[in-house]
Amino acid sequence: MTGLYTLLQINQLNNTAENYFPIGVQIIFAIGFVATMIGLSALVGPKRKTSDKLENFSSGIASHGNARQPMAVKYFLIAILFVLFDVEVIFFYPYAVNFKFLGWAGFWEIVLFVVLFLIGFIYIIKKGALQWED
Amino acid sequence: MNAIIFSVIGGVVMMFTGIITQQKKAIRNVAIIALIILLLANIFDTYGILSIHIGTHGMLNFQKFGLYFNTLAYAATLLFILISGADVTQIGEGKHAAEFFALIFFSLSGIAIITSYNSLLLLFLGIEIMSIPLYILTGGDKRNLKSNEASLKYFLMGSFSTGILLMGIALMYGAHGGFEISAMKPSAVSNEYGILDPLGLVLVFIAIAFKVSAAPFHFWTPDVYDGSPSVFTSFMATIIKAAGFIAFIRLFDNKYVELGLSWRIILPLVIIATLLVGNITAIFQQSVKRMMAYSSIAQAGFMLFAVFAENDMAKEGILIYTVAYSVATIGIFAVLEKMEDISLAGYNGLAKKHPLLAATNTIFLLSLTGIPLTAGFFAKYYMLLSVIKYGGSTVTWLVIVAVIFAAISAYYYFRVIQAMYFKTGNPEVRSYNKGFCFMLVILAAITILIGIFPTIILNWFYF
Amino acid sequence: MIPFLLILVPLIGGLISFLLKEDRAAKSWSLLIALITLAISLSGIYFFNNADALTLDWPWMPALGTSFNLHMDGMSSMLTLLTAIGLPVIFVAIYKNNYAKPGNFYAGMLLTQAGMMGVFVAADALVFYFFWELALIPAYFLASNWGGEKRVAATFKFFVYTFVGSLLMLIGIFYLYFQTPGNHSFSIDAFYHLHLKTSQQYFFFWLFFIAFAIKMPIFPFHTWQPDAYEQASTGVTMLLSALMVKMGVYATIRWLVPVFPQATNYFSMLIIILSVIGMLYTSLIAIRQDDVKRVIAYSSIAHIGLMCAAIFAQKQAGWNGVMVQMFNHGIVVLGLWIVADAIEQQIGTRKLSEMGGMAQKAPELALLFVIMALANVALPLTNSFIGEFLMFNGLFQYNIVIAIFALITIILTAVYTLNTVQKIFYGELVSTTNNAIDAGLNVRLILWVLVIVIFFFGIYPEPMIHLTNDTVNALLAK
Repeated sequence: MTGLYTLLQINQLNNTAENYFPIGVQIIFAIGFVATMIGLSALVGPKRKTSDKLENFSSGIASHGNARQPMAVKYFLIAILFVLFDVEVIFFYPYAVNFKFLGWAGFWEIVLFVVLFLIGFIYIIKKGALQWED
Repeated sequence: MNAIIFSVIGGVVMMFTGIITQQKKAIRNVAIIALIILLLANIFDTYGILSIHIGTHGMLNFQKFGLYFNTLAYAATLLFILISGADVTQIGEGKHAAEFFALIFFSLSGIAIITSYNSLLLLFLGIEIMSIPLYILTGGDKRNLKSNEASLKYFLMGSFSTGILLMGIALMYGAHGGFEISAMKPSAVSNEYGILDPLGLVLVFIAIAFKVSAAPFHFWTPDVYDGSPSVFTSFMATIIKAAGFIAFIRLFDNKYVELGLSWRIILPLVIIATLLVGNITAIFQQSVKRMMAYSSIAQAGFMLFAVFAENDMAKEGILIYTVAYSVATIGIFAVLEKMEDISLAGYNGLAKKHPLLAATNTIFLLSLTGIPLTAGFFAKYYMLLSVIKYGGSTVTWLVIVAVIFAAISAYYYFRVIQAMYFKTGNPEVRSYNKGFCFMLVILAAITILIGIFPTIILNWFYF
Repeated sequence: MIPFLLILVPLIGGLISFLLKEDRAAKSWSLLIALITLAISLSGIYFFNNADALTLDWPWMPALGTSFNLHMDGMSSMLTLLTAIGLPVIFVAIYKNNYAKPGNFYAGMLLTQAGMMGVFVAADALVFYFFWELALIPAYFLASNWGGEKRVAATFKFFVYTFVGSLLMLIGIFYLYFQTPGNHSFSIDAFYHLHLKTSQQYFFFWLFFIAFAIKMPIFPFHTWQPDAYEQASTGVTMLLSALMVKMGVYATIRWLVPVFPQATNYFSMLIIILSVIGMLYTSLIAIRQDDVKRVIAYSSIAHIGLMCAAIFAQKQAGWNGVMVQMFNHGIVVLGLWIVADAIEQQIGTRKLSEMGGMAQKAPELALLFVIMALANVALPLTNSFIGEFLMFNGLFQYNIVIAIFALITIILTAVYTLNTVQKIFYGELVSTTNNAIDAGLNVRLILWVLVIVIFFFGIYPEPMIHLTNDTVNALLAK
C-alpha cells in the first residue's frame, strides 16, 4: 500500500503549464503528420473505382452473408479475461521502475498482488471459463 | 481495516466454495459463518482488539461512527442471510448460489470503505466496489427479462452517476490540490478557483443522491427494485442505501460549510421532492414490491434529514434509522418472497391462513409507518428531533411537511394491513419452514425491542 | 406503583388473551382482568392515595431527558376509574354477543384500555405520546375487524385523522422539549415552567389543539366520528365514545391549557364559538338521523363540545363541571350504547323508522332506556345535571350570549332523545318488533348498575367534585 500511494504523488512536482508545452507540440506534430500523409496519398494516388475494389477483402474469395451474426459467448469471455489480466499486468511496470525505492515493503505488497492475481486465475480455470469445448 | 480485509477474504472464500461444492445448504452455512467472522472482526476492530493496521496515508480514517455502522450493516446482512439465504440460493436456477454470496461480500467491503473514507478517491472506489456487484445481483435471475432489464438500467444509470461523481471529485481536487476531505479548508481555496469547490461538491452530491435514490435522481429505483429478484431488492434497499447515507454524512460533516445558505435551500427542496415522489406514487401502486420501491424512496427522504441537520443527534438517528428500516424491510421482503402473487390482492386474507406471517408483517409495516413501540418511531423521532435541534422554529415548516408525508405513508402501508386482515381471499404462499418463522419472530422482536429501548443501540455506540 | 399496574395488568392480560381460542375462555379471562383493573383503580383512590403509590419515575432514556414518569392526581384517578369501570361494563353487556376470533377481540379491548390508562397517568410528554398512539392501534384493528359493511374505510378515516393530529402534536412536543432549560426534558413539570413568547404560543398551541380536537372531536374536525361509531361493532363503539374521547378532553386540560396560557386566553373565544357551533349543528343533525347509533354518535359530539367550551371558558365552576361530566358522560353514553346494542341484537335493525312499540314487549328495557335518555338530557336528579349545570355556569360567567346559544342545545337534545325513545318503544308494534322480548339478564343487570350510578352521582356528586377539585385548583392557578 505504501508503494502505490507514493507512486501517485511522485509526479506532482513542478506541475506548471509550461511543462506541458513540449507535449502539446508533439501532439500537434503527430496529428499534423498523419493528416498530411493521408491527405497526400488521397490526392496524389491514382483512383480507379470498380465494384470489386469496394468489396471487403476476403482473400480473393467472394464474401457472402452478414457479418453481424451472434457469436459464441466464449469469445467475449476470453476477450474480457484477456483485458482484465492485461490491465493487471500493467501495474508491474511502475513497480519495476521503482523497484529499489520501494524496497522489501513493496516486494511483499507485489507478492500479495500476485497471489490475489493467481487466485483469480485459479478461479476462472476451475470455473471452466477457459475450456473451449463444451 | 479488519472489515475491508475480512469481507474481501469472505468473498474469495465464497467463490471457491462454489467450486468445491454445489450443495446449497453448505454454501449458505459457509456464508453465514464467514459473515459471523466478519462481524466479530469488525466488532473487535471497533474496540481496538486484534485490529489490523495498514498505513493508508490518511486515505482511510477509521472512526467509531463508521466502524459501528459497519457492525450494524453486517448484523443486518446476517439477519438478511439467515432469513432469506435459502431464497438467495434459488435465484437463477440455483446454479450460482456461491457467487451471489461472494458478490454480497464484495459489496460489503465497498461499504467498509465508504464508511471510513477520508480521500475522495476512496469514496469513488468504495462506491464502485459496492455498486458493481449489485449490477450483477440485479440481473441474477438470468432467464427473467425483467431482471435483465433492471440490471441493464441500473448499470447504465449507475455508470452515468459515476461519471458525475468523478467530475465532481476532479473539480474539488482542482480547487484544493488534494483529495483528503479533512484537509479541505474553504479558506484555503483562492478566489480564482472559488467556484470549482462548491460546484464539485454539488456534483458529488448528485452522484450520492443517485445512490440513495433521492429525487430527482430516483428514476431508476422503481424499475430496478421491481425487476431484480426480491431478495436482492431487500439487500439493496436496506443495507446499501444506508451506506450511501454514511457517505453523505462523512462528506458533509466536513464540507457543507462552503455551501452556506444555499445548501440550506437545496437540501430541503431535495428532501421534499423525495418525500413527495416516494409517498404520492406509492399510493397508486398495486404491486406490493413496487410499492416498497417507492416507499424506500420516501424513507430516503426521511433519512436525508440526518444530512440536513448534521449534528450528533442526526448521527445517532441515522444509526437507529438504519437498523429500524433495514430490519423492517428485510422482514417485509422475506414475507413477500414467500408470496406467489405479490400484488396487493395477493395478500388478501393472509391473516386467516398464515397468522404469523401476517402478524409479523404488520409489525414491520407499523414500524415503517413510525408507530410508537416499534423501532420506526424512534427512527423518525431522532430525525425530526435532530432537525428541530438544528433549526428551531425556522425549520418547523419542513418538519410539518415531513409529518404530513409520514401520515400519507400510513395510507399505503395500511393498505397491506387491510388486505391481510380485513379482506377475504385465498393467498397462495410458498412452503416455509419453522426456521423461517423463527427468524420472522426474531426480526419482529428486534423491532419492538428497539421501539421500547432505542438506547440499546446507542449505548453500544458510546461504549 | 398503582398507575403502572393499571397499565400492566390489561397489557399482560390482553397479550395472553391473544392465545385464547375458545369463546368462553376469552370472555371470562378478559372480564377477570377488567375486574382486577377496577379493583386496582379503586384501591388507588381509597386505600393507597398517597404520593408514593401514585407516582412512579423510572429512568428510560436519560440522555434524552425522558423518563418513564407516571403520576396520578385527582383527574387521573377519576378517568382511570371511568376506564376501569367501562371495560367490565362493556364486557358484561356484550357477554352474549359472538365475535369471530374472540381471543383477538378481547385482547384488542384490553390493549386499548392499557393505552388509555397510560394516557391518563403519563407525566412525561414522550410517554404520553407513546400511549396516545398505542391506544389508537388496537382500536384501529378492533373497529376494522368487527363491525358493519363499510367499517374498513370508516375506521381508516378515523385512523388517518387521529394520526395526522398526533404527528402534529409530536412536532409541538419536540419544539417544547428544546425550549426547556438546561439539558432539555420531556417532563410535564418542565413544560409547565416554560416561558414561551406569545408568538410561539400562538403557533404551537394549534399543533396540540388540532390533535386533541380531532380526538374529542370538535367541529370541524368531527367528520370521522359518526361513520366510525356507526360502522364499528357496538362493543368497540362503547369503548371509543365512552372512554377514548375523554383522552382528548383530558389532554386539553392537562397538556394544552396550562402549557399555553396566553394562547388559550387569546383563542378561547374562537374555540368556544366553534364548540357551540358544533353543538348546535350536531344536535340538529341528530334530530334527522334514522339510525340509533348515529343519533347517539352526534349526541356525543354535542356533549363533548360543551365540555370543550367549558374548558376554554376557564372558570372554576365550569372546570368542576367538566370533571364531573367527563365521568358521567361516560356512564350515560355507555348505557345508551348498551340499550342500542341490545335492541339491534334482538330485532336486527338500527333504523328508527323500522321500530315501534317495543315497550309492550320489553318493558324493563324501555324503563332503563328512558332513564338513560333523561340522563342524556341532563334532567335534575340524574348525574349529568350537575355537570352540565356547572359547565353552563362557567360559560355564563364567560359570555352570556354564547351561553344562551349553548343552552339551545339542551332543548334540541331533549327533542332528539325523546324522539328516539318514542320511536323505539312507543306507538304501534311493527313487524320487526313483534317478536321482541326483554333484553338478556346480563344486559339488564349491567344497566341497573349504571342506573344506580346515575342516580347516586345525580343526588350526591360531592365525592367526584372532591376528588378532582385539587386538580382544578392547581391547573387553573397556572
